[in-house]
Order: sequence, then structure tokens, then C-alpha cells
Amino acid sequence: MSEETYSAQYSALWPRGEKTVEIAPLAPRLDTLEGKTVAFLWDYLFRGDEIFPILESELSAAYPDMRFVGYTTFGSTHGSDEGRIIADLPKTLAENNVDAIISGMGC
Amino acid sequence: MLRASAAAEAAGVPSSSLVCDGFLGQGATTAVGLGLPNLPMAKVPGHVDTQTDNELRQNLTSVTVQAVIENLTAAPAAAVMIPEPGPRDVVMEGSFEEINRFFYENNWSDGLPIVPPTQGKIESFLAFTDLPAGHVIAAIPPDNRQATVWNVAVNGVMAGCRPQYMPVLVALAEAMSDPGYGVEHSGNTPGAETLITINGPIIKDLDFNYEQGALRDGFQANTAIGRWWRLYLRNVAGFLPHQNDKGTFGNTWRVVLAENEDVLARIDWPPLSADFGHARGDNAVTISRYTGGDVIASVFGQKPEDMLPYLADALVSQTGWQLIFTVGLADGSYSPLLVLSPILAETMAKAGWSKDMVRQWLFENARIPASKFERYIVEFTNFYSGGRSMFELAQLGKANEVYGTSKDPDRLVPIVCDARDIQIAVSGDPGRTNAQVFSHNGILGYPTARAIRLPNDWKNKLAGAR
Repeated sequence: MSEETYSAQYSALWPRGEKTVEIAPLAPRLDTLEGKTVAFLWDYLFRGDEIFPILESELSAAYPDMRFVGYTTFGSTHGSDEGRIIADLPKTLAENNVDAIISGMGC
Repeated sequence: MLRASAAAEAAGVPSSSLVCDGFLGQGATTAVGLGLPNLPMAKVPGHVDTQTDNELRQNLTSVTVQAVIENLTAAPAAAVMIPEPGPRDVVMEGSFEEINRFFYENNWSDGLPIVPPTQGKIESFLAFTDLPAGHVIAAIPPDNRQATVWNVAVNGVMAGCRPQYMPVLVALAEAMSDPGYGVEHSGNTPGAETLITINGPIIKDLDFNYEQGALRDGFQANTAIGRWWRLYLRNVAGFLPHQNDKGTFGNTWRVVLAENEDVLARIDWPPLSADFGHARGDNAVTISRYTGGDVIASVFGQKPEDMLPYLADALVSQTGWQLIFTVGLADGSYSPLLVLSPILAETMAKAGWSKDMVRQWLFENARIPASKFERYIVEFTNFYSGGRSMFELAQLGKANEVYGTSKDPDRLVPIVCDARDIQIAVSGDPGRTNAQVFSHNGILGYPTARAIRLPNDWKNKLAGAR
């Protein structure tokens, strides 16, 4: 026995909204990490204070001339200061001559 | 975390985002909303909080380090935009069942039947606002899609709202997009759910329930508008389970709470919306995100001093990890809600107590030992690293001064920074001595209110719709 269906026909419209963000290009990648300055950005969650020193140690072993800027230079990227810190990021990164960032932690 | 990476990329600085296994899906969909679908991420296997130091090191050295190097030095494949329908496109023609199946398969419905959003139905909603259909309210993160009067109406039709609810829905979309509310956090793992509270004469205009059975489904305005909220989060903000919505345990959307304004007027207490700048008698919605809560049954006592200790105890017992919003993640953003049944509020008012006096008493008495506070935000959750005591944090200016009055770990400290952080509403069965407490999600859904703007000729339009 087939399921009863209502006979009326409807034309249903799309329920979503138009996207306001176009695809943006990523920043050019680096040719090497040797001699480059990398900053750690942290949302102050999920053991970043333990993870970043391990990454720094491992990356330094692979690239002895790599330099690092600690997360305390920027402050927490999550929480009440998030908006200000992210808005200031281009300036703060430039002031610290940062070539690349490592941002954590999403868990 | 990804927003910081996106800001760096926009500044010309390459990024690598550290993401645990369970966050990869959310990361990918969040990146699309940021306009960077190919934003590089470095996987951290498992979840770091359950790993031993050795396991964590092993996972980082064996997987994450190499991924970071690749993220920063190798260009990922170019991203392409997937075409979508236009805002007013017909996406499906068919029967009720066919449309419901199509919407469900496209993640546009919650699994319950929707009312097909047809042109005629949508227009009937638009008649209840003076704003043009194309009016853009905001771009709502994380998907960053346009919230418009049009798609407010579309989702209102789908949710089973009546056309005359439209002024409330528009106000809610405006509140949702207020940066102070923090809608972008609506997919966080604790799975909190928004409660909408409504004030003003519109409560009676639209037949909201505000007495026995408050917060229960079965009353169309309370229920359908609550459902609209989550459909709008899904279709416009972009929160879908298994994608941007990472609630470990979710809740069904909450039925709208309407305050009992007859009682409030009788006892001369201001409505909840007055705490956010809306005068008594004004139509307004207030939204806030709550992680849970409990009923406080059979509050016994003939005067406030008899009743309040039980209510203070409930505020404390329903507050744990959320204390990170009092000190830590966003100081002073923890704002629990206490809903009193009318008889409780009337008994307090009869003794001469104002709402502010009740709040002050609760602030001074809903307290826990400082050592317990520290266990919640440090030992139990690792939300606050560094091992400093509340006293030290206050001395360093990193906690409200109320936490720095003593070093005694057994001293009692408040669960909020200020009496005004405790919200009070009045609703529910007028004759029952019960209350309800809601624990709050802090800055990740901070209390936010908006005025409800009625269209010209509201009364006549309303009469015609009934």
C-alpha cells in the first residue's frame, strides 16, 4: 500500500541568505622557514601553553635560524578582547616583523 | 582561532591553524564563511585534554609539526565558489511531502515538517512590517550570509509562525546580529541554547502564554517563534550539526518565555527588558544563551529572607565551569537568569522588596569557597592556565577586586562580579511556589535586547489576521 500524499503542488523558495564574503586569496607561502620569524597566536584554551614550546623546539631543530614571537605579545584571540586583538593584528604582526603565524587551539 | 588566522592571511602573513581531530569539520565550514575555503590547518590527533604529556608530544612530533611546515611553505589548491540559488529563486516545485524531503536533504529543515515557503505565504508575512523585503539587517557569522527581511519571512513561514509574528522575528534577527550577543559562538561544544524572552503589550496581542506551562510547547506564538530561531541559525547564520554546530550535547530550541506583565505592574517591578534599556510598556525581545538549569520546586517561606537562601543555593548549584565567564575568558560576562513564579515575586514585593534588592541579596549570598571556584576554572577544566589563585589574579588586575579581599581559600566569593549580572524574570503558574534557574554561557551568548517595531495600522492588520 503506497503512502498517501497531499495533492496540492507548491513552489518553494530558497530559505538561505546571499553570501557576503567572496573567496579571498591566501597569503603567499614562504620559500623556507629558515631565518623566518613565526608568531604563536593562542586562544588560551586546550594546552596551547604546553604545545607551543614543543613546536618551537621541533621547528628550531629543523630550522636553526628560525625565530619565534610568543603568544603573550598578542593576548588571547578568544574572549572579551578578541575583536580588538584581531583588528590590531596586521599592525602587531608588522611591528614584530612576523613572516608567518601558528594559531591554536581549535578543539 | 580561525578568525585570527584569516586576519593574518588578509595581512599577507601565511598561517597554520592547529586543530584537533574533532574540530576539523567545523574548521572547514568556518573557513568557507571567512572566504578562505582552503585555509590551511594542521591536525593535532585526538583531543589534547585527555592525552598524557608523552602522548601529546608524540602526536605533535609525528603529525602536527610536518603539517605546520607544509601549511606555511606549500600553496594549497585554489578554492572555487560553489554556485547557489538566488535569494528569491524557486528551488523546488512539488507536493508537501516532496518539498519537505527536498528541504531536509539540503539541510534546510530541522527534521520536523515545514510549511512550504511559497511566494504568497512570504508576502503575507511581509505585510506585517514597514521595512522593504530587501532590507539587509546584517551579515551573520559564521556563514556571513545576508540576513534580510525577506529571509526572516521565509523561515517564519517554514517554522509555522503566523504572519503577524513578523515584527517579533525581525527584532530577533536584529538581536542575533548584534556583535555584543556573539552569535558566531553558537556552535561551541557545550551546546547551549538561546532563550527568547518577550515583553510588552504584544504578549497579549499575539496570545503568548505567560502563565501555567511557561516554556512548554503547545502555544503557537511561544513555540513557533522558538523554532524560527533555530531555523534561522541553520539557514542564515549557518549552524548545522556535524559542521559549524559542534555542540557535544545539544538541546531542542527553547519555547519563548513571556513575562507576566500584569503581575509586574501590580508589584511595580520592571520587566526583564528594562535591564537593557527598554521602558515598561515597550515591546521588546531579549535573547541570551543558557547551558542548562533546573526547577526550584516548592520554595517555602512567608518572607523573602525565608525564600532567598533556597534560590541562592540553586544559583550556586547550577553554576560550575561557567565561572570562566566570571573570571578568565571574558570577565563579568556570566549572567544567570532566575525565573520566579508570580506568587514568589508577589510575596517578596509585599514585604517591600524591589527587584534590585532581591538581586543584591542573591549577589551577597549566592557564593562558593574561593578554592572551589579555582577548581572549576583551573583544575577541572584547564580553562585558566598558570596556576594563580583568585587572590593573585585580583592583585594583578586580572580578576574583579571582589576576589582579592583575602587569601583564605575557604572564603566565600560571588559567582558573578556584580548584582546586576543576575537577571530576574516573572512567569509561570501564578499559584505555584516554583522557580527556574538558567546557567549562562557568558560572552558566547550575552544578554541582548531589541525593540519590536510594529507596522502602521497594526491593530487593524492584526484584527484582519485573526
